[in-house]
Amino acid sequence: MAGFRNALFIISTFVITYISCIHGEKETLVLLDNLAIKETHSIFFKSLKERGYALTFKLADDPTLVLSKYGEFVYDHLIIFAPSVEEFGGALSVDSITEFIDGGGNVLVAGSSSAGDVLREIASECGVEIDDEGAAVIDHLNYEISDGGSHTLIVADPENLIDAPVIVGSRDVRPLLYQGTGLIADPENPLVLQVLTASSTAYSHVPDQPIKQFPHAVGKKTLLIAALQARNNARVVFCGSLYFFSDEAFSSPVQKQSGFKKYPLSGNQEVSIALSKWVLKENGVLRVKSVAHHKVGSTVPPPSYTIMDDVVYKLQLERKTSDGWVPHDVDDLQMEFVRIDPFVRTTMKRQSPGSYQVVFKIPDVYGVYQFKVDYKRIGYTNIYSSTQVSVRPLEHTQYERFITSAYPYYASSFSMMLGVFLFSFVFLHYREEPVKTKHE
Amino acid sequence: MKKSSSSFSGGWKSLIVFTVLLLAWLCGFASRLFAVIRFESIIHEFDPWFNYRATAYMVEHGFYNFLNWFDERAWYPLGRIVGGTVYPGLMITSGSIHYVLHLLNIPIHIRDICVFLAPIFSGLTAISTYLLTKELWNTGAGLFAACFIAIVPGYISRSVAGSYDNEGIAIFALQFTYYLWVKSVKTGSVFWASLTALSYFYMVSAWGGYVFIINLIPLHVCTLLLMGRYSNRLFTSYTVFCILGLLFSMQIPFVGFQPIRTSEHMAALGAFILILVIGGLKHMQSILSKAEFKYFFIVTSLVAAGTVFFGVVVLTYAGVIAPWSGRFYSLWDTGYAKIHIPIIASVSEHQPTTWFSFFFDLHILVTTFPVGLWYCIKNVNDERVFVVLYALSAVYFAGVMVRLMLTLTPVVCILSGIAFSRLLEIFLKDEETPSNGDSDSEQETSPSRTLYDKAGKLRKMKHEQIKETEGLGANVRSFIIVGVLAMLLMFAVHCTWVTSNAYSSPSIVLSTYSQDGSRQILDDFREAYYWLSQNTDSDARVMSWWDYGYQIAGMANRTTLVDNNTWNNSHIALVGKAMSSTEPKAYEIMKSLDVDYVLVIFGGVIGYSGDDINKFLWMVRIAEGEHPKDIRESDYFTDKGEFRVDAEGSPVLLNCLMYKLSYYRFGELQLDFRSPAGYDRTRNVVIGNKDFDLTYLEEAYTTEHWLVRVYRVKKEDEFNRPRIPVSKRKIRPSDVFISKKTSRRKKGLIKNRPVVVKGKRPVKS
Repeated sequence: MAGFRNALFIISTFVITYISCIHGEKETLVLLDNLAIKETHSIFFKSLKERGYALTFKLADDPTLVLSKYGEFVYDHLIIFAPSVEEFGGALSVDSITEFIDGGGNVLVAGSSSAGDVLREIASECGVEIDDEGAAVIDHLNYEISDGGSHTLIVADPENLIDAPVIVGSRDVRPLLYQGTGLIADPENPLVLQVLTASSTAYSHVPDQPIKQFPHAVGKKTLLIAALQARNNARVVFCGSLYFFSDEAFSSPVQKQSGFKKYPLSGNQEVSIALSKWVLKENGVLRVKSVAHHKVGSTVPPPSYTIMDDVVYKLQLERKTSDGWVPHDVDDLQMEFVRIDPFVRTTMKRQSPGSYQVVFKIPDVYGVYQFKVDYKRIGYTNIYSSTQVSVRPLEHTQYERFITSAYPYYASSFSMMLGVFLFSFVFLHYREEPVKTKHE
Repeated sequence: MKKSSSSFSGGWKSLIVFTVLLLAWLCGFASRLFAVIRFESIIHEFDPWFNYRATAYMVEHGFYNFLNWFDERAWYPLGRIVGGTVYPGLMITSGSIHYVLHLLNIPIHIRDICVFLAPIFSGLTAISTYLLTKELWNTGAGLFAACFIAIVPGYISRSVAGSYDNEGIAIFALQFTYYLWVKSVKTGSVFWASLTALSYFYMVSAWGGYVFIINLIPLHVCTLLLMGRYSNRLFTSYTVFCILGLLFSMQIPFVGFQPIRTSEHMAALGAFILILVIGGLKHMQSILSKAEFKYFFIVTSLVAAGTVFFGVVVLTYAGVIAPWSGRFYSLWDTGYAKIHIPIIASVSEHQPTTWFSFFFDLHILVTTFPVGLWYCIKNVNDERVFVVLYALSAVYFAGVMVRLMLTLTPVVCILSGIAFSRLLEIFLKDEETPSNGDSDSEQETSPSRTLYDKAGKLRKMKHEQIKETEGLGANVRSFIIVGVLAMLLMFAVHCTWVTSNAYSSPSIVLSTYSQDGSRQILDDFREAYYWLSQNTDSDARVMSWWDYGYQIAGMANRTTLVDNNTWNNSHIALVGKAMSSTEPKAYEIMKSLDVDYVLVIFGGVIGYSGDDINKFLWMVRIAEGEHPKDIRESDYFTDKGEFRVDAEGSPVLLNCLMYKLSYYRFGELQLDFRSPAGYDRTRNVVIGNKDFDLTYLEEAYTTEHWLVRVYRVKKEDEFNRPRIPVSKRKIRPSDVFISKKTSRRKKGLIKNRPVVVKGKRPVKS
């Protein structure tokens, strides 16, 4: 009976965790300019649905929009396919969206030439800027042959994709179609990733207007797709083009001007889906499964280490896949033993898939140390693990009892003792006979 | 004196001595209880908190664990080996009292023992002072000295109930060691000399001031040798004391090998060698003929002097003998610390003493102790040479550092006791006795007159006065007696007043008197520490200036970065640098030190002058000492060289972390209607930078009177996104955004909305 109960309990726990896995992490709110977008981008949405996302389509100005209720976020992900929104409806605003990001939510934003200020504001909050209203990325050399003459429907070279297969999948894809505004990001900022840059001949400007001022974005500095993995691992992707994700772009043939090679299909679909997998945290999510440390020859961590101890530090790393968490193998995982500055920094050895170990000697300096693993790689979530331990000096019983160099002193003290002992005999039993005779 | 003592039988005399000493003990104990009665049984100030924490640890974990205690909560992340960096005498004393009482089934809390330890030991100090003075002069003087030391403010300042510090028991150990030393010099017995060494051992285990003993006793020996007062008694007592004392003192882990390696202890070894050499020479003198001895003497002394001198020089250069420590230098050159070691100079008790505080701490005794000194010099013998040296060196040191007033106080009490007893002896004597004293003084003044003209004159006048009083009879005598008694009465009143008003504040609880005379208790410190202990993670690291380190560790039980131990100057300088840098730079430092909370003391609301802004220049100086490129003291002054926090203050000061943390949101606070908002009552100015915001920290807690302010350091992931500030954006918004949403109509706005064909519209909400 008890066994049955236990089994029931275990099964129900599994069911609950399964449901929460499926349900809890896949609630997605999609904001649209108009409901037609649902149809024009159906391939993209269909692929999301197939991967198990519960999409909730809403118009961006819907007065009932909410992201959080009673302090809990209702959705896990937010897709904004509403470039021309001027003001969100309901409780949604720039502040609530940034709060959503700070709370760990993932956001995919697609703009267009007509992107409104509210999107610009969100982008600036994330370290990216969207070019002026009406501006579009223009490339007079790399435009699609079917372009109307303004050269705004451009062909992006997959070579310009970021070299991170986790984010964009393989770079070996067909050229990409792009029509929309340009993005700017501070190249110094390490958190913003330049996922797709325009080619060196592109610039971003309002197509019909004569160029009076230097354009905001020129050449490779013009970003087409920018991504941000925030410090709390929330992921945000900005794409200047809503068209990029559309069925039309997915299914169009691509030919750069005339005379170049004609591809029957653009590479947009592969890249979009890879990008959506990344931004919705299907790809590149790592976690530390367990951390353990102990002295060599023991299995439990001591209350404090002593200087010059040999220490084993173990860490297990896992990666999320569609089937759950699997061990993650890397070759460049480093461990630091830090007290203000790192005293030890070594690469950890892989013992078995996903589990790493390092054995080292604690330096001859006491203090409070931290085992630190700080693993940051482009596209992957940041792994940061720090375990504080104290390293104490030797106890008064742990010093060497007899030192070789002190043997002369031992010898002298024992000979002294012996001397006093012998002298006491002499002193007690010596009879001063000759003195007496002299006196007498 | 013999006659006065003979007027009582032995039984009466010892009863009186016993009664007086008992009363002195009781009185001294009672007058130290002001703080307990006014506030509560609580540990005071800063250092006592550490001593208490260490004692509690020892009682809980046992002595050996205490000896090996590695405190990872102090000096994060360096840690502190407590067992090896502490004088354990205090903890062992109260720990053993606790142990004994618990053996007797008296369940007393260790805190109460700690609180009342110093008052109880003050009674022992009184008794040992009595013994010492009795050895030096007579019983009457001893009783006077015991009564003085029981209530004199200079000693009470360090021994009120709750002031659980090393000095509380060390003064007893000091006096007792001196008593035993004097006794052993008098008797020349190995027994007393060994007892001296044992008592010295206790002193070494209790206080760093043991260096005073180990320099004064060799000084005494050398002086006696120079005066030609070499004796076998001196030889025995000093050689025994020196060797045993040396061995004993090296048993304290904190002292370790210092006695044979540092210059402070070299005097003892030098005197030891000297007395051996002289002893040897005396012996040779008795064996050799005169001519042989002369030759022998010259050669030996030259060789010995040369060897010792070169030995010391070579060893110092080789680093075997450490050079003098900074604290010691500042004893000789009062300006030394200010220039070289700001951390020593920053402590208020290391400042030179003012004349005022001599009177404040000693009152009438400061005028009478030269009289006692004079009597000692006049009737000199071996042990009075000692007290003269004691008095002279203690006066010098007390003039250098306020803190060393403590070592002066006992000798002042002794000498004043001698002076008063002599005075009363003269004026309370019966008519026939003076002839005895008369002849005595005649004999001694006659040689002194030839040497010191003035002293002789003075002496004569006094002598004449005495004669006159005798002639005038009982009336004048009784006037003088009444006058002296009135002075003593005023002394007692003064002592009580000073104790009650100046030395009985626990300093962690402040009290003020409001206009109607009622007392207000400001308990902000404990409020803040309690908040920390209840609302922060138990591993949270709190950064504050080092003054508050022990209190945070003791009361809030949180990890501190620096504390009153001040053993690592560069770590303190790092904290000082963080406090005196701008917020972003400070954040870098705080991040590297894993700081979770920052605690500052701010007195601007209640006018508390000991706050961090007033201490701030020391932080800057200490930081400048270690990081001269980043911090410059001159940046924190105005062009005129003033340190001010109002609008004319230097911009560096008005933007540093300490300023911001002290005055955050203070600009909004108007204390009363007479003063504008942001009026600092401590410095009596309106602050210069009112309108600022904190980026990397956030206010976590501010106590009722704003005395303690606690800030939380934001973690890195709270700066989640690389936000581009509006001023740095390349693309400006096209127009000012005005929300069109109202509380009723929450629909947003989409421009260029395509015309929707009716009937195709699927859902509305």
